[in-house]
Amino acid sequence: MATELPKTDVVIVGAGWTGLAAAKELADAGQRCVVIERGDWRHDATNFGAPEEHDELKYARRKEHMIDTPTKTLSFRNNSDQTALPMRRLGSFLPGKGLGGAGIHWNGQLWRPLPSDLQMRSHYAERYGESILDGMNVQDWGVTYDELEPHLDFFDRVCGTAGVAGNLNGETQEGGNPFEGPRSADYPNPPMKASPPLQMFRDTAAQMGYNPFHMPSANVTKAYENAYGAQLHPCTYCGFCERFGCGYFAKADPIICIYDVVKDHENFELRMNSQVLRVEKSADGKTATGVTYIDENGQEVFQPADTVCLNAYALWNVHLMLVSGLGTPYDPETGEGTVGRNYAYQTIAAASVFFDENVWSNPFMGAGALGMTIDDFNGDNFDHTDLGFVGGGYISANQTNGRPINYQPTPPDTPSWGAEWKQAVRESYLHHVGIVCHGSSVAVPENYLDLDPTYKDAYGQPLLRMTFDFPENDRKMSAYVLSKAEEIARNMDNVRAVGTVNRAAEGESYSVVPYQTTHNTGGAVIGTDPATSVVNRYGQMWDHHNVFVFGACLFPQNLGYNPTGPLMGLAYWTLDHMKNDYLQNPRPLMDA
Amino acid sequence: MPNFSRRAVLMQLGASGLAALTPGASLAQNRYADLDTQPWSFLDGNEARFLASMADVLIPEDDFPSASQAGVVDFIDLQLAGPYGKGAGLFLEGPFRDGAPEQGWQVDHTPATLIRTGIARLESGDTRLVDLDASEREDFVTRLSEGEDFDLGDVPATTLFDEIWSLVKEGYFSDPIYGGNKDYAGWRMVGFPGAHAYYADLVDKNAPFPAPPRGIAHVPGSSRSASTSRALTGSDADTQQEEG
Ligand SMILES: Cc1cc2nc3c(=O)[nH]c(=O)nc-3n(C[C@H](O)[C@H](O)[C@H](O)COP(=O)(O)OP(=O)(O)OC[C@H]3O[C@@H](n4cnc5c(N)ncnc54)[C@H](O)[C@@H]3O)c2cc1C
Ligand code: SF4
Repeated sequence: MATELPKTDVVIVGAGWTGLAAAKELADAGQRCVVIERGDWRHDATNFGAPEEHDELKYARRKEHMIDTPTKTLSFRNNSDQTALPMRRLGSFLPGKGLGGAGIHWNGQLWRPLPSDLQMRSHYAERYGESILDGMNVQDWGVTYDELEPHLDFFDRVCGTAGVAGNLNGETQEGGNPFEGPRSADYPNPPMKASPPLQMFRDTAAQMGYNPFHMPSANVTKAYENAYGAQLHPCTYCGFCERFGCGYFAKADPIICIYDVVKDHENFELRMNSQVLRVEKSADGKTATGVTYIDENGQEVFQPADTVCLNAYALWNVHLMLVSGLGTPYDPETGEGTVGRNYAYQTIAAASVFFDENVWSNPFMGAGALGMTIDDFNGDNFDHTDLGFVGGGYISANQTNGRPINYQPTPPDTPSWGAEWKQAVRESYLHHVGIVCHGSSVAVPENYLDLDPTYKDAYGQPLLRMTFDFPENDRKMSAYVLSKAEEIARNMDNVRAVGTVNRAAEGESYSVVPYQTTHNTGGAVIGTDPATSVVNRYGQMWDHHNVFVFGACLFPQNLGYNPTGPLMGLAYWTLDHMKNDYLQNPRPLMDA
Repeated sequence: MPNFSRRAVLMQLGASGLAALTPGASLAQNRYADLDTQPWSFLDGNEARFLASMADVLIPEDDFPSASQAGVVDFIDLQLAGPYGKGAGLFLEGPFRDGAPEQGWQVDHTPATLIRTGIARLESGDTRLVDLDASEREDFVTRLSEGEDFDLGDVPATTLFDEIWSLVKEGYFSDPIYGGNKDYAGWRMVGFPGAHAYYADLVDKNAPFPAPPRGIAHVPGSSRSASTSRALTGSDADTQQEEG
């Protein structure tokens, strides 16, 4: 039998971005918080220092900072006719493990949703007629941009985001993203520098009538004290950013931005190397009573709590709900049930630009969020009449990952090994940039998460099973946005060749092998209708009012942006309603 | 554990064709001769010769060293002996079934047993890759990469090819502390400056980076990494890399 510990006010599963933010806000509000994290303790100051951290083999290839696949993974298939098989090796996405979660090895590309993204169904229905969404489970989020704005702004000040505002209180600003929703305040820090290819992309895109701007970056550009009083330092453009921790205190991460300011709080307790197995429910099933976990000594322990927060990353939140019997699992046959419904991903394509020897891209000088971007083909920023798809993506020349094991660009038609390959790598490495199309992903009835009938993890629990392929809508979207990126690439000067790759190309299926993004979304979505959402618009479970859910599992469908800005906006929105309403009077915050 | 000397293997490799094939091979052999007292950590002599021959088709010598000249076989040996080879990064619970390519690795093998089994089956006849002439070797590697007409039992030819090619690239381009990228061969070839990375004043300039590469364990004032020889002491394999 599990040992039962004294009750706490709040138990938080996972010590990544959302878990540590929840702990900080709720501890400050007088709640005793216990954070349970399955991975190791670590810190930027002691664990991520250069030059040792600058080890591509160890971190980028062997993925030292990431989830331990032998212990915990999921199974995968493209469609229900296949048998799902375990994802035996990390590839397409790289979830985190340990203090800070995936927030320590992220890039720091820090976006906000477009106002219309959050009302996707009603927005498209109004502009184009509802039939444009036929066959899709596209939904409104149930929360608007104006409601999230103060929380998006707060997270910008937690991270010290660098950028150029495009819309300040409704006034369009020179040099920013003219499509973005109104900001109540400017970015806390000036934008990143622009490397030569980024300058060229900016000039060419502007000549073509587009609106280039610096990608919003949580790689900090100046010494900065964040909203919690933590100190960040300027980025060195070291180029060991995504997949690595930042020993320079320059990449905003949950450890230096939040953990350091809550770790000594009397209401904060962190338990590392502890795997939560399930959320326990009361006899009537209406509330959660706490969580059962395996502690660092391998003992099963029950931690009772008044409130349970799920902050285990999008996929593992859904897994915990399914193994704990929280909510009703989605049934693709009937379309009923909500847990696991609306799983979506990110649709990635890219143009690969090969310069002549006059352009030195020096790809090893880079940063996770060093990019020059246009948003002209994202969301509904362009007219979708007769295009045959909804959604879009940003197009961005990025200089983030020029490390030589993973980055060996070669022009189209180069053999993939041998003498010619070697020569091409040598000629291309210092004179190349990638232009990514970072596309949205609609939810469709066929893509979902449930439990695998065969395979079990090291704790004896069924693996999460992912059934996913790129919907037809997104294949069309990706081809369209890629054609725009290719056009920009071909219009740039000093270009000797342009290649393309499209992960969602017609005729190809989604694969878990090549890295794409760690932007898994949906499965426990937010909304205003319990028939189509797991949580109400405050992030509170419809079926168990003392369970609050955080992370990208809340997204009804995925945006053309990276998820952490939007999901942290939602996190602070939820925490605001917990602190100022729910905790004084625990109850369902919306009528079902 | 087999205990073949590196020198013996590479002498044979030179004798059986590499020297004739590539003018720089005798030089390389001298370089490897430094290490002739070191035992292999995982490979046996035949496996090492196979991997050296295949690696040098994948990355042949030109103005820059071939894969084996850059220490790639030493790198692979240490990787296969360590956590990576033992499957530290793999979920290996059964049942095992053939999957679609989109489902990735589905063989009931660790990288070490995959490569050992694969090479044993490829070399089970009379011919050795090392004995073929240059164009025959290239033809063999092409066929392996395409998975054509090889029956290797439970080892799919393309999985074997992909695993070896991945290790070869890692050995050519990873920090020299892991035994490959000898004298920064791979980094010099592409122009990658290494682990000591501070570019705030340079990132917006259209100019080549002026300094030669420096690795994690760079010896100040030299053009070498300190740890190459330490990494090659074989018995360090388990502590070289704790992850998988
Ligand atoms: C390489 C990479 C690059 C990225 N780049 C960007 C980017 O540029 N921009 C962007 O917006 N996003 C980016 N992301 C995504 C970003 O990292 C995530 O959106 C963010 O970290 C999510 O925060 P979270 O709190 O939901 O989960 P996480 O930060 O992953 O934290 C979850 C924590 O929960 C723990 N946990 C899980 N299950 C259990 C359990 N059962 N018991 C106990 N603990 C558990 C995990 O170990 C983990 O530490 C990137 C991700 C990766 C991997
Ligand atoms: S690029 Fe900048 S933010 Fe990223 S790890 Fe290096 S110093 Fe840190």
